[in-house]
Amino acid sequence: MSAEPSFRIYEKPNLDRPALITGWIEDACGLGASSIDYLIRKLGFREFAEIMPEGFFPMAGVVVADDVAQFPDSKFYVSDEHDLVIFKSNTPRTDWHRFLNAVLDVAQKDCGVKQIYAVGAMISYTAHTMPRLLVSIVNSSEMKEMLEPFGVMGNTDYETPPGQKPTLNSYLLWTAKKRGIPAVNLWVPVPYYLVSLDDPRARKRLLDFFNVRFSLGIDLRDLDAEVMEQNGKIGQLFQKSPEIEGYVRKLETGEGLETEESEKLAREIDEFLKK
Amino acid sequence: MEIRFIKEPELVDPVLVASWPGIGNIGLIAVDALRRTMHAEEIACIEPVDFFYPNKVIIRDGELVDMEFPTSGFYYQRTDKRDVILFLGEEQPAEGGRIYAEGGKAYAMANLVLDVAQKFGCRRIYTSGAAVAPIHHTAKSRVWAVPNSQRLLDEIKHYDNTVLMSDIEGRGGQGNITGLNGLLLGAARRRGIDAICIMGEIPVYLQGFPFPYPKGSKVVLEVLTSALGIRADLETINQLAEQSERELSALYERLPQEIREQLDRLKQATVAAQESTGGITEEDKKKILEDIDKFFKRGGREEQH
Repeated sequence: MSAEPSFRIYEKPNLDRPALITGWIEDACGLGASSIDYLIRKLGFREFAEIMPEGFFPMAGVVVADDVAQFPDSKFYVSDEHDLVIFKSNTPRTDWHRFLNAVLDVAQKDCGVKQIYAVGAMISYTAHTMPRLLVSIVNSSEMKEMLEPFGVMGNTDYETPPGQKPTLNSYLLWTAKKRGIPAVNLWVPVPYYLVSLDDPRARKRLLDFFNVRFSLGIDLRDLDAEVMEQNGKIGQLFQKSPEIEGYVRKLETGEGLETEESEKLAREIDEFLKK
Repeated sequence: MEIRFIKEPELVDPVLVASWPGIGNIGLIAVDALRRTMHAEEIACIEPVDFFYPNKVIIRDGELVDMEFPTSGFYYQRTDKRDVILFLGEEQPAEGGRIYAEGGKAYAMANLVLDVAQKFGCRRIYTSGAAVAPIHHTAKSRVWAVPNSQRLLDEIKHYDNTVLMSDIEGRGGQGNITGLNGLLLGAARRRGIDAICIMGEIPVYLQGFPFPYPKGSKVVLEVLTSALGIRADLETINQLAEQSERELSALYERLPQEIREQLDRLKQATVAAQESTGGITEEDKKKILEDIDKFFKRGGREEQH
Protein backbone atom coordinates (compact mmCIF):
# COMPACT_ATOMS: atom_id res chain seq x y z
CA MET A 1 0.00 0.00 0.00
CA SER A 2 2.87 2.35 0.76
CA ALA A 3 4.96 3.91 -2.03
CA GLU A 4 7.99 4.08 0.28
CA PRO A 5 10.72 1.47 -0.33
CA SER A 6 10.23 -1.46 2.02
CA PHE A 7 13.92 -2.31 2.32
CA ARG A 8 17.34 -0.74 2.77
CA ILE A 9 20.53 -2.11 1.18
CA TYR A 10 23.83 -1.12 2.84
CA GLU A 11 26.19 -2.58 0.25
CA LYS A 12 25.79 -4.30 -3.08
CA PRO A 13 26.94 -7.91 -2.72
CA ASN A 14 29.26 -9.46 -5.29
CA LEU A 15 27.64 -12.77 -6.23
CA ASP A 16 27.50 -15.15 -9.17
CA ARG A 17 24.37 -17.39 -9.16
CA PRO A 18 23.54 -17.37 -5.48
CA ALA A 19 20.97 -19.33 -3.51
CA LEU A 20 18.91 -17.78 -0.73
CA ILE A 21 18.30 -19.55 2.60
CA THR A 22 15.45 -18.18 4.71
CA GLY A 23 14.30 -18.88 8.27
CA TRP A 24 11.81 -17.38 10.72
CA ILE A 25 12.72 -16.46 14.27
CA GLU A 26 9.41 -17.76 15.67
CA ASP A 27 9.94 -21.28 14.28
CA ALA A 28 9.21 -24.33 16.50
CA CYS A 29 12.35 -25.32 18.48
CA GLY A 30 13.82 -22.05 17.16
CA LEU A 31 15.01 -24.25 14.28
CA GLY A 32 14.96 -21.71 11.45
CA ALA A 33 16.81 -19.00 13.36
CA SER A 34 19.27 -21.32 15.11
CA SER A 35 20.26 -23.09 11.87
CA ILE A 36 20.77 -19.77 10.14
CA ASP A 37 22.71 -18.31 13.09
CA TYR A 38 24.96 -21.36 12.93
CA LEU A 39 25.73 -20.75 9.25
CA ILE A 40 26.30 -17.03 9.83
CA ARG A 41 28.72 -17.80 12.67
CA LYS A 42 30.61 -20.65 11.01
CA LEU A 43 30.92 -19.12 7.55
CA GLY A 44 31.33 -15.47 8.50
CA PHE A 45 28.26 -14.06 6.71
CA ARG A 46 27.93 -10.27 6.94
CA GLU A 47 24.75 -8.23 7.14
CA PHE A 48 24.05 -6.17 4.01
CA ALA A 49 20.33 -5.31 3.89
CA GLU A 50 17.09 -5.25 5.86
CA ILE A 51 13.35 -5.02 5.39
CA MET A 52 12.01 -1.98 7.24
CA PRO A 53 9.47 -2.88 9.93
CA GLU A 54 6.90 -0.15 9.22
CA GLY A 55 3.66 -1.56 7.88
CA PHE A 56 4.58 -5.16 8.61
CA PHE A 57 4.79 -5.21 12.41
CA PRO A 58 2.60 -3.50 15.00
CA MET A 59 4.35 -0.36 16.19
CA ALA A 60 2.64 -0.32 19.55
CA GLY A 61 5.49 -0.70 22.00
CA VAL A 62 7.96 -3.53 22.49
CA VAL A 63 7.88 -7.08 23.76
CA VAL A 64 10.22 -7.85 26.65
CA ALA A 65 11.86 -11.28 26.57
CA ASP A 66 14.51 -12.53 28.99
CA ASP A 67 14.54 -9.08 30.62
CA VAL A 68 15.36 -7.32 27.33
CA ALA A 69 13.14 -5.24 25.05
CA GLN A 70 12.82 -6.88 21.64
CA PHE A 71 12.08 -5.34 18.26
CA PRO A 72 11.26 -7.02 14.94
CA ASP A 73 14.28 -7.84 12.79
CA SER A 74 14.26 -8.75 9.09
CA LYS A 75 17.87 -8.92 7.89
CA PHE A 76 19.86 -10.18 4.94
CA TYR A 77 23.36 -11.62 5.22
CA VAL A 78 25.79 -12.58 2.49
CA SER A 79 28.79 -14.83 1.96
CA ASP A 80 30.48 -13.91 -1.32
CA GLU A 81 32.85 -16.84 -0.93
CA HIS A 82 30.05 -19.41 -0.79
CA ASP A 83 27.72 -17.52 -3.15
CA LEU A 84 24.95 -17.62 -0.55
CA VAL A 85 22.44 -15.11 0.79
CA ILE A 86 20.60 -15.59 4.08
CA PHE A 87 17.39 -13.94 5.24
CA LYS A 88 16.38 -14.20 8.89
CA SER A 89 13.28 -12.46 10.16
CA ASN A 90 10.49 -12.26 12.62
CA THR A 91 7.24 -13.28 10.95
CA PRO A 92 5.38 -10.19 9.70
CA ARG A 93 2.01 -9.55 11.27
CA THR A 94 0.32 -7.87 8.30
CA ASP A 95 0.74 -7.06 4.59
CA TRP A 96 2.43 -10.40 3.99
CA HIS A 97 2.31 -10.22 0.20
CA ARG A 98 4.19 -6.92 0.12
CA PHE A 99 6.66 -8.23 2.71
CA LEU A 100 7.43 -11.41 0.76
CA ASN A 101 7.79 -9.43 -2.45
CA ALA A 102 10.23 -7.09 -0.71
CA VAL A 103 12.29 -10.15 0.28
CA LEU A 104 12.19 -11.42 -3.31
CA ASP A 105 13.00 -7.97 -4.71
CA VAL A 106 16.24 -7.89 -2.71
CA ALA A 107 16.98 -11.52 -3.54
CA GLN A 108 16.18 -11.42 -7.23
CA LYS A 109 16.95 -7.87 -8.33
CA ASP A 110 19.84 -6.97 -6.06
CA CYS A 111 21.49 -10.37 -5.55
CA GLY A 112 20.47 -12.36 -8.64
CA VAL A 113 19.25 -15.27 -6.50
CA LYS A 114 18.50 -18.36 -8.59
CA GLN A 115 17.10 -20.73 -5.94
CA ILE A 116 15.43 -20.37 -2.55
CA TYR A 117 15.59 -22.73 0.44
CA ALA A 118 13.08 -21.91 3.19
CA VAL A 119 13.69 -23.89 6.37
CA GLY A 120 11.32 -24.74 9.19
CA ALA A 121 10.28 -27.23 11.83
CA MET A 122 7.17 -29.36 11.63
CA ILE A 123 5.68 -30.44 14.95
CA SER A 124 5.45 -34.22 15.05
CA TYR A 125 4.58 -37.12 17.36
CA THR A 126 8.09 -38.50 17.16
CA ALA A 127 10.66 -39.25 19.86
CA HIS A 128 13.83 -37.20 20.29
CA THR A 129 15.84 -40.43 20.01
CA MET A 130 14.66 -41.10 16.46
CA PRO A 131 16.52 -39.94 13.33
CA ARG A 132 15.26 -36.65 11.90
CA LEU A 133 13.71 -36.73 8.45
CA LEU A 134 13.96 -33.92 5.91
CA VAL A 135 10.74 -33.26 4.00
CA SER A 136 10.61 -31.05 0.92
CA ILE A 137 7.81 -29.12 -0.73
CA VAL A 138 8.92 -27.58 -4.02
CA ASN A 139 7.37 -25.01 -6.32
CA SER A 140 8.74 -26.42 -9.58
CA SER A 141 9.71 -29.72 -11.16
CA GLU A 142 13.19 -28.25 -11.73
CA MET A 143 13.68 -27.95 -7.97
CA LYS A 144 12.33 -31.44 -7.40
CA GLU A 145 14.83 -32.93 -9.83
CA MET A 146 17.68 -31.01 -8.23
CA LEU A 147 16.81 -32.45 -4.79
CA GLU A 148 16.66 -36.07 -5.91
CA PRO A 149 20.28 -37.00 -5.00
CA PHE A 150 19.98 -35.60 -1.47
CA GLY A 151 17.70 -38.15 0.22
CA VAL A 152 14.92 -35.69 0.92
CA MET A 153 11.32 -36.93 1.23
CA GLY A 154 9.32 -35.21 -1.48
CA ASN A 155 6.00 -36.92 -2.11
CA THR A 156 3.62 -35.08 0.22
CA ASP A 157 -0.05 -34.62 -0.71
CA TYR A 158 -1.73 -31.94 1.38
CA GLU A 159 -4.53 -29.39 1.44
CA THR A 160 -4.98 -26.93 4.29
CA PRO A 161 -7.93 -28.13 6.39
CA PRO A 162 -10.85 -25.70 6.88
CA GLY A 163 -10.25 -23.26 9.72
CA GLN A 164 -6.46 -23.45 9.42
CA LYS A 165 -4.09 -21.25 7.45
CA PRO A 166 -1.08 -22.16 5.27
CA THR A 167 2.40 -21.48 6.65
CA LEU A 168 4.31 -18.34 5.71
CA ASN A 169 6.90 -20.61 4.07
CA SER A 170 4.18 -21.93 1.74
CA TYR A 171 3.20 -18.34 0.96
CA LEU A 172 6.85 -17.54 0.19
CA LEU A 173 7.06 -20.58 -2.09
CA TRP A 174 3.92 -19.50 -3.96
CA THR A 175 5.15 -15.91 -4.32
CA ALA A 176 8.49 -17.17 -5.65
CA LYS A 177 6.65 -19.45 -8.09
CA LYS A 178 4.72 -16.44 -9.41
CA ARG A 179 8.09 -14.78 -10.11
CA GLY A 180 9.59 -17.88 -11.69
CA ILE A 181 12.14 -18.52 -8.93
CA PRO A 182 12.61 -22.22 -8.08
CA ALA A 183 12.17 -22.69 -4.35
CA VAL A 184 11.81 -25.41 -1.76
CA ASN A 185 10.51 -25.58 1.78
CA LEU A 186 12.67 -27.90 3.86
CA TRP A 187 10.77 -29.18 6.87
CA VAL A 188 12.26 -31.18 9.72
CA PRO A 189 9.65 -32.99 11.84
CA VAL A 190 10.54 -32.27 15.50
CA PRO A 191 9.27 -33.97 18.67
CA TYR A 192 6.28 -32.01 19.93
CA TYR A 193 7.68 -31.96 23.45
CA LEU A 194 10.75 -29.98 22.33
CA VAL A 195 8.75 -27.24 20.61
CA SER A 196 9.62 -24.50 23.11
CA LEU A 197 13.14 -25.88 23.63
CA ASP A 198 15.97 -26.69 21.25
CA ASP A 199 16.40 -29.61 18.86
CA PRO A 200 20.09 -29.88 17.91
CA ARG A 201 19.43 -33.14 16.07
CA ALA A 202 16.97 -31.37 13.75
CA ARG A 203 19.46 -28.54 13.29
CA LYS A 204 22.14 -31.04 12.35
CA ARG A 205 19.84 -32.67 9.79
CA LEU A 206 19.25 -29.35 8.06
CA LEU A 207 22.88 -28.28 8.20
CA ASP A 208 24.03 -31.67 6.92
CA PHE A 209 21.90 -31.03 3.87
CA PHE A 210 23.31 -27.55 3.25
CA ASN A 211 26.84 -28.79 3.92
CA VAL A 212 26.53 -31.32 1.12
CA ARG A 213 24.34 -29.27 -1.23
CA PHE A 214 26.68 -26.26 -1.21
CA SER A 215 29.97 -28.03 -0.39
CA LEU A 216 30.40 -25.81 2.65
CA GLY A 217 32.94 -28.01 4.44
CA ILE A 218 31.60 -27.20 7.90
CA ASP A 219 32.68 -29.45 10.76
CA LEU A 220 29.35 -30.30 12.43
CA ARG A 221 30.79 -32.35 15.31
CA ASP A 222 29.91 -29.66 17.80
CA LEU A 223 26.27 -30.38 16.98
CA ASP A 224 26.83 -34.08 17.81
CA ALA A 225 28.03 -32.92 21.20
CA GLU A 226 24.88 -30.83 21.67
CA VAL A 227 22.71 -33.82 20.74
CA MET A 228 24.56 -36.02 23.24
CA GLU A 229 24.24 -33.38 25.95
CA GLN A 230 20.47 -33.06 25.45
CA ASN A 231 20.03 -36.84 25.34
CA GLY A 232 22.06 -37.10 28.53
CA LYS A 233 19.83 -34.59 30.33
CA ILE A 234 16.64 -36.32 29.20
CA GLY A 235 18.27 -39.60 30.28
CA GLN A 236 18.62 -38.15 33.79
CA LEU A 237 14.90 -37.45 33.78
CA PHE A 238 14.26 -41.07 32.71
CA GLN A 239 16.25 -42.22 35.76
CA LYS A 240 13.97 -40.20 38.00
CA SER A 241 10.77 -41.02 36.16
CA PRO A 242 10.43 -44.39 34.36
CA GLU A 243 6.90 -43.31 33.47
CA ILE A 244 8.26 -40.50 31.24
CA GLU A 245 10.75 -42.92 29.68
CA GLY A 246 7.84 -45.27 28.97
CA TYR A 247 6.02 -42.53 27.07
CA VAL A 248 9.08 -41.85 24.90
CA ARG A 249 9.49 -45.59 24.22
CA LYS A 250 5.87 -45.68 23.08
CA LEU A 251 6.56 -42.86 20.64
CA GLU A 252 9.63 -44.71 19.37
CA THR A 253 7.49 -47.71 18.47
CA GLY A 254 4.80 -45.57 16.88
CA GLU A 255 2.35 -46.32 19.69
CA GLY A 256 0.10 -43.35 20.42
CA LEU A 257 -0.13 -41.58 23.77
CA GLU A 258 -3.29 -40.65 25.61
CA THR A 259 -3.86 -36.88 25.81
CA GLU A 260 -2.98 -36.84 29.50
CA GLU A 261 0.22 -38.83 28.86
CA SER A 262 1.36 -36.60 25.99
CA GLU A 263 0.68 -33.47 28.04
CA LYS A 264 2.62 -34.87 30.99
CA LEU A 265 5.58 -35.81 28.80
CA ALA A 266 5.76 -32.32 27.30
CA ARG A 267 5.37 -30.64 30.69
CA GLU A 268 7.99 -32.74 32.51
CA ILE A 269 10.61 -32.52 29.76
CA ASP A 270 10.06 -28.79 29.40
CA GLU A 271 10.40 -28.19 33.14
CA PHE A 272 13.42 -30.47 33.49
CA LEU A 273 15.40 -29.06 30.56
CA LYS A 274 14.67 -25.46 31.54
CA LYS A 275 16.08 -25.96 35.05
CA MET B 1 -4.91 -3.06 -5.30
CA GLU B 2 -6.82 -4.17 -8.29
CA ILE B 3 -10.25 -5.12 -9.52
CA ARG B 4 -10.40 -7.87 -12.11
CA PHE B 5 -13.36 -7.56 -14.47
CA ILE B 6 -14.76 -10.74 -15.95
CA LYS B 7 -17.46 -9.06 -18.01
CA GLU B 8 -18.75 -5.52 -18.32
CA PRO B 9 -22.50 -5.63 -19.03
CA GLU B 10 -24.53 -2.48 -19.70
CA LEU B 11 -26.69 -2.06 -16.61
CA VAL B 12 -29.51 0.41 -16.08
CA ASP B 13 -29.53 2.26 -12.76
CA PRO B 14 -28.42 -0.82 -10.81
CA VAL B 15 -28.53 -1.19 -7.03
CA LEU B 16 -25.54 -2.71 -5.22
CA VAL B 17 -26.11 -5.00 -2.24
CA ALA B 18 -22.94 -5.80 -0.29
CA SER B 19 -22.12 -8.04 2.60
CA TRP B 20 -19.18 -9.36 4.59
CA PRO B 21 -19.05 -11.95 7.38
CA GLY B 22 -20.16 -10.83 10.82
CA ILE B 23 -22.16 -11.98 13.83
CA GLY B 24 -24.28 -14.98 12.86
CA ASN B 25 -23.25 -14.31 9.25
CA ILE B 26 -26.68 -12.77 8.93
CA GLY B 27 -25.98 -10.40 6.06
CA LEU B 28 -23.70 -12.74 4.15
CA ILE B 29 -26.22 -15.60 4.20
CA ALA B 30 -29.01 -13.25 3.06
CA VAL B 31 -27.02 -11.82 0.14
CA ASP B 32 -25.70 -15.24 -0.85
CA ALA B 33 -29.29 -16.54 -0.86
CA LEU B 34 -30.17 -13.63 -3.13
CA ARG B 35 -27.25 -14.52 -5.42
CA ARG B 36 -28.40 -18.11 -5.67
CA THR B 37 -32.06 -17.40 -6.14
CA MET B 38 -31.38 -14.74 -8.77
CA HIS B 39 -28.81 -16.94 -10.57
CA ALA B 40 -26.52 -13.93 -10.51
CA GLU B 41 -23.37 -14.13 -12.63
CA GLU B 42 -19.91 -13.06 -11.54
CA ILE B 43 -18.72 -9.85 -13.19
CA ALA B 44 -15.67 -8.87 -11.19
CA CYS B 45 -13.54 -9.60 -8.16
CA ILE B 46 -11.10 -7.72 -5.98
CA GLU B 47 -7.60 -9.18 -6.19
CA PRO B 48 -7.06 -10.63 -2.73
CA VAL B 49 -3.30 -10.53 -2.19
CA ASP B 50 -3.11 -6.98 -0.83
CA PHE B 51 -5.88 -7.66 1.65
CA PHE B 52 -5.75 -11.25 2.86
CA TYR B 53 -3.53 -14.03 4.06
CA PRO B 54 -4.15 -17.18 1.97
CA ASN B 55 -6.61 -19.70 3.38
CA LYS B 56 -5.47 -22.82 1.56
CA VAL B 57 -2.38 -24.38 0.03
CA ILE B 58 -2.66 -27.31 -2.36
CA ILE B 59 0.32 -29.68 -2.53
CA ARG B 60 0.47 -32.69 -4.83
CA ASP B 61 3.31 -35.19 -4.78
CA GLY B 62 5.56 -32.77 -2.94
CA GLU B 63 4.92 -29.83 -5.27
CA LEU B 64 2.97 -26.71 -4.37
CA VAL B 65 0.29 -26.49 -7.03
CA ASP B 66 -1.64 -23.43 -5.89
CA MET B 67 -2.85 -21.25 -3.05
CA GLU B 68 -6.34 -19.97 -2.47
CA PHE B 69 -7.34 -16.67 -0.90
CA PRO B 70 -10.61 -15.36 0.54
CA THR B 71 -12.77 -14.16 -2.34
CA SER B 72 -14.41 -10.73 -2.79
CA GLY B 73 -16.73 -11.10 -5.76
CA PHE B 74 -19.26 -9.01 -7.64
CA TYR B 75 -22.29 -10.65 -9.30
CA TYR B 76 -25.09 -9.19 -11.40
CA GLN B 77 -28.56 -9.97 -12.65
CA ARG B 78 -31.13 -8.03 -14.60
CA THR B 79 -34.71 -8.24 -13.33
CA ASP B 80 -38.02 -6.83 -14.61
CA LYS B 81 -37.95 -4.16 -11.97
CA ARG B 82 -34.23 -3.27 -11.78
CA ASP B 83 -30.69 -4.42 -12.34
CA VAL B 84 -28.88 -5.68 -9.28
CA ILE B 85 -25.20 -6.07 -8.40
CA LEU B 86 -24.33 -8.22 -5.41
CA PHE B 87 -21.01 -8.11 -3.59
CA LEU B 88 -19.96 -10.94 -1.27
CA GLY B 89 -16.76 -10.69 0.75
CA GLU B 90 -15.62 -14.01 2.18
CA GLU B 91 -13.52 -12.24 4.84
CA GLN B 92 -13.08 -8.74 6.19
CA PRO B 93 -9.55 -7.38 5.65
CA ALA B 94 -8.65 -7.25 9.33
CA GLU B 95 -5.36 -5.89 10.62
CA GLY B 96 -3.59 -6.96 13.79
CA GLY B 97 -5.69 -10.08 14.36
CA ARG B 98 -9.01 -8.23 14.60
CA ILE B 99 -12.17 -9.90 13.33
CA TYR B 100 -13.67 -6.80 11.77
CA ALA B 101 -12.02 -4.60 9.20
CA GLU B 102 -10.48 -1.43 10.48
CA GLY B 103 -7.90 1.03 9.20
CA GLY B 104 -6.35 1.70 5.82
CA LYS B 105 -7.04 -1.64 4.19
CA ALA B 106 -10.69 -1.64 5.20
CA TYR B 107 -11.16 1.85 3.77
CA ALA B 108 -9.30 0.83 0.60
CA MET B 109 -11.61 -2.15 0.14
CA ALA B 110 -14.72 -0.02 0.74
CA ASN B 111 -13.51 2.36 -1.95
CA LEU B 112 -12.83 -0.46 -4.42
CA VAL B 113 -16.41 -1.67 -3.93
CA LEU B 114 -17.64 1.87 -4.55
CA ASP B 115 -15.42 2.15 -7.67
CA VAL B 116 -17.21 -0.86 -9.15
CA ALA B 117 -20.61 0.46 -8.05
CA GLN B 118 -19.96 3.79 -9.76
CA LYS B 119 -18.49 2.20 -12.87
CA PHE B 120 -21.83 0.48 -13.43
CA GLY B 121 -23.83 3.58 -12.52
CA CYS B 122 -25.14 2.58 -9.08
CA ARG B 123 -26.83 5.34 -7.17
CA ARG B 124 -28.07 3.22 -4.28
CA ILE B 125 -26.21 0.76 -2.06
CA TYR B 126 -27.41 -1.62 0.63
CA THR B 127 -25.15 -3.34 3.13
CA SER B 128 -26.37 -6.00 5.51
CA GLY B 129 -25.37 -7.40 8.85
CA ALA B 130 -26.53 -8.29 12.34
CA ALA B 131 -28.15 -6.30 15.15
CA VAL B 132 -27.50 -7.79 18.58
CA ALA B 133 -30.79 -7.44 20.45
CA PRO B 134 -32.37 -8.55 23.74
CA ILE B 135 -34.72 -10.95 22.00
CA HIS B 136 -35.56 -14.62 22.38
CA HIS B 137 -34.65 -17.07 19.62
CA THR B 138 -38.30 -18.10 19.18
CA ALA B 139 -39.30 -14.50 18.45
CA LYS B 140 -39.35 -13.07 14.95
CA SER B 141 -36.31 -10.89 14.38
CA ARG B 142 -36.88 -7.32 13.38
CA VAL B 143 -34.70 -5.41 10.95
CA TRP B 144 -32.75 -2.36 12.04
CA ALA B 145 -32.02 0.06 9.22
CA VAL B 146 -29.44 2.84 9.21
CA PRO B 147 -29.16 5.19 6.22
CA ASN B 148 -26.24 7.46 5.40
CA SER B 149 -28.50 10.38 4.66
CA GLN B 150 -31.39 12.11 6.40
CA ARG B 151 -33.51 12.05 3.25
CA LEU B 152 -33.68 8.23 3.29
CA LEU B 153 -35.45 8.08 6.66
CA ASP B 154 -38.95 8.44 5.25
CA GLU B 155 -38.37 5.66 2.75
CA ILE B 156 -37.16 3.30 5.50
CA LYS B 157 -40.27 4.00 7.56
CA HIS B 158 -42.27 2.24 4.85
CA TYR B 159 -40.20 -0.97 5.04
CA ASP B 160 -42.01 -3.86 6.75
CA ASN B 161 -40.77 -5.16 10.10
CA THR B 162 -38.09 -2.45 10.16
CA VAL B 163 -37.06 -0.01 12.84
CA LEU B 164 -34.74 2.96 12.96
CA MET B 165 -32.21 3.41 15.75
CA SER B 166 -34.51 5.98 17.35
CA ASP B 167 -37.30 3.36 17.53
CA ILE B 168 -35.16 1.10 19.71
CA GLU B 169 -35.71 1.55 23.39
CA GLY B 170 -32.84 3.22 25.20
CA ARG B 171 -30.79 4.03 22.11
CA GLY B 172 -32.01 7.51 21.30
CA GLY B 173 -31.03 7.09 17.68
CA GLN B 174 -27.40 6.29 18.60
CA GLY B 175 -25.31 3.21 17.83
CA ASN B 176 -22.46 1.93 15.73
CA ILE B 177 -22.01 -0.54 12.88
CA THR B 178 -18.71 -2.36 13.14
CA GLY B 179 -16.56 -3.33 10.17
CA LEU B 180 -17.11 -2.97 6.46
CA ASN B 181 -20.90 -3.32 6.57
CA GLY B 182 -20.79 0.02 8.38
CA LEU B 183 -17.70 1.56 6.82
CA LEU B 184 -19.13 1.28 3.31
CA LEU B 185 -22.01 3.52 4.41
CA GLY B 186 -19.57 6.23 5.42
CA ALA B 187 -17.39 5.89 2.33
CA ALA B 188 -20.51 6.07 0.13
CA ARG B 189 -21.66 9.19 1.96
CA ARG B 190 -18.34 10.87 1.12
CA ARG B 191 -19.04 10.17 -2.56
CA GLY B 192 -22.65 11.33 -2.34
CA ILE B 193 -24.08 7.85 -2.89
CA ASP B 194 -27.20 6.85 -0.95
CA ALA B 195 -26.65 3.76 1.20
CA ILE B 196 -28.65 1.88 3.81
CA CYS B 197 -27.44 -0.83 6.19
CA ILE B 198 -30.06 -3.51 6.84
CA MET B 199 -29.45 -5.55 10.00
CA GLY B 200 -31.35 -8.62 11.17
CA GLU B 201 -31.74 -9.08 14.90
CA ILE B 202 -29.85 -11.89 16.64
CA PRO B 203 -30.49 -12.79 20.31
CA VAL B 204 -27.86 -11.24 22.55
CA TYR B 205 -27.01 -14.64 24.05
CA LEU B 206 -26.12 -16.07 20.61
CA GLN B 207 -23.78 -13.29 19.50
CA GLY B 208 -20.62 -15.10 20.63
CA PHE B 209 -21.49 -18.43 19.03
CA PRO B 210 -19.67 -19.39 15.85
CA PHE B 211 -22.77 -20.60 14.01
CA PRO B 212 -25.11 -18.78 11.63
CA TYR B 213 -28.49 -17.34 12.56
CA PRO B 214 -30.66 -17.77 9.41
CA LYS B 215 -33.75 -16.36 11.15
CA GLY B 216 -31.97 -13.01 11.09
CA SER B 217 -30.93 -13.55 7.46
CA LYS B 218 -34.50 -14.33 6.48
CA VAL B 219 -35.89 -10.97 7.64
CA VAL B 220 -32.99 -9.14 5.97
CA LEU B 221 -33.80 -10.95 2.74
CA GLU B 222 -37.49 -10.10 3.05
CA VAL B 223 -36.72 -6.39 3.46
CA LEU B 224 -34.12 -6.39 0.67
CA THR B 225 -36.35 -8.12 -1.89
CA SER B 226 -39.23 -5.82 -1.01
CA ALA B 227 -37.04 -2.70 -1.23
CA LEU B 228 -35.57 -3.83 -4.56
CA GLY B 229 -38.99 -4.83 -5.86
CA ILE B 230 -37.76 -8.25 -6.88
CA ARG B 231 -39.20 -11.70 -6.32
CA ALA B 232 -37.00 -14.25 -4.66
CA ASP B 233 -37.51 -17.87 -3.73
CA LEU B 234 -37.37 -17.86 0.06
CA GLU B 235 -37.95 -21.61 0.42
CA THR B 236 -34.32 -22.50 1.17
CA ILE B 237 -33.79 -19.77 3.73
CA ASN B 238 -37.13 -20.63 5.35
CA GLN B 239 -35.95 -24.22 5.73
CA LEU B 240 -32.62 -23.08 7.15
CA ALA B 241 -34.39 -20.80 9.63
CA GLU B 242 -36.72 -23.61 10.75
CA GLN B 243 -33.83 -26.05 11.13
CA SER B 244 -31.85 -23.48 13.12
CA GLU B 245 -34.79 -22.90 15.46
CA ARG B 246 -35.19 -26.66 16.02
CA GLU B 247 -31.48 -26.98 16.84
CA LEU B 248 -31.56 -23.99 19.17
CA SER B 249 -34.64 -25.37 20.91
CA ALA B 250 -32.85 -28.71 21.44
CA LEU B 251 -29.88 -26.82 22.91
CA TYR B 252 -32.29 -24.78 25.02
CA GLU B 253 -33.74 -27.95 26.56
CA ARG B 254 -30.28 -28.92 27.77
CA LEU B 255 -29.76 -25.62 29.59
CA PRO B 256 -30.12 -25.53 33.37
CA GLN B 257 -33.60 -24.69 34.61
CA GLU B 258 -32.41 -21.37 36.07
CA ILE B 259 -31.13 -20.16 32.70
CA ARG B 260 -34.21 -21.36 30.84
CA GLU B 261 -36.31 -19.32 33.22
CA GLN B 262 -34.17 -16.26 32.52
CA LEU B 263 -34.50 -16.77 28.77
CA ASP B 264 -38.26 -17.22 29.13
CA ARG B 265 -38.40 -13.86 30.84
CA LEU B 266 -36.53 -12.46 27.87
CA LYS B 267 -39.15 -14.01 25.63
CA GLN B 268 -41.88 -12.23 27.54
CA ALA B 269 -39.87 -9.04 27.34
CA THR B 270 -39.59 -9.39 23.56
CA VAL B 271 -43.33 -9.89 23.13
CA ALA B 272 -44.11 -7.05 25.51
CA ALA B 273 -41.73 -4.70 23.71
CA GLN B 274 -43.04 -5.59 20.28
CA GLU B 275 -46.65 -5.23 21.40
CA SER B 276 -45.78 -2.09 23.36
CA THR B 277 -47.65 -3.43 26.36
CA GLY B 278 -44.83 -3.00 28.82
CA GLY B 279 -44.82 -5.83 31.37
CA ILE B 280 -41.12 -5.90 32.16
CA THR B 281 -38.95 -3.17 33.54
CA GLU B 282 -35.61 -2.01 32.21
CA GLU B 283 -34.09 -3.22 35.44
CA ASP B 284 -35.54 -6.72 34.87
CA LYS B 285 -34.16 -6.78 31.34
CA LYS B 286 -30.73 -5.70 32.52
CA LYS B 287 -30.73 -8.43 35.19
CA ILE B 288 -31.74 -11.09 32.65
CA LEU B 289 -28.96 -10.12 30.28
CA GLU B 290 -26.39 -10.02 33.06
CA ASP B 291 -27.40 -13.50 34.25
CA ILE B 292 -27.30 -14.92 30.73
CA ASP B 293 -23.96 -13.30 30.08
CA LYS B 294 -22.54 -14.73 33.30
CA PHE B 295 -23.82 -18.20 32.39
CA PHE B 296 -22.18 -18.22 28.99
CA LYS B 297 -18.96 -16.72 30.37
CA ARG B 298 -18.82 -19.69 32.73
CA GLY B 299 -18.79 -21.88 29.62
CA GLY B 300 -22.43 -22.83 30.04
CA ARG B 301 -21.90 -24.39 33.49
CA GLU B 302 -24.22 -23.79 36.41
CA GLU B 303 -22.77 -21.55 39.10
CA GLN B 304 -21.14 -23.40 41.97
CA HIS B 305 -21.95 -22.10 45.43
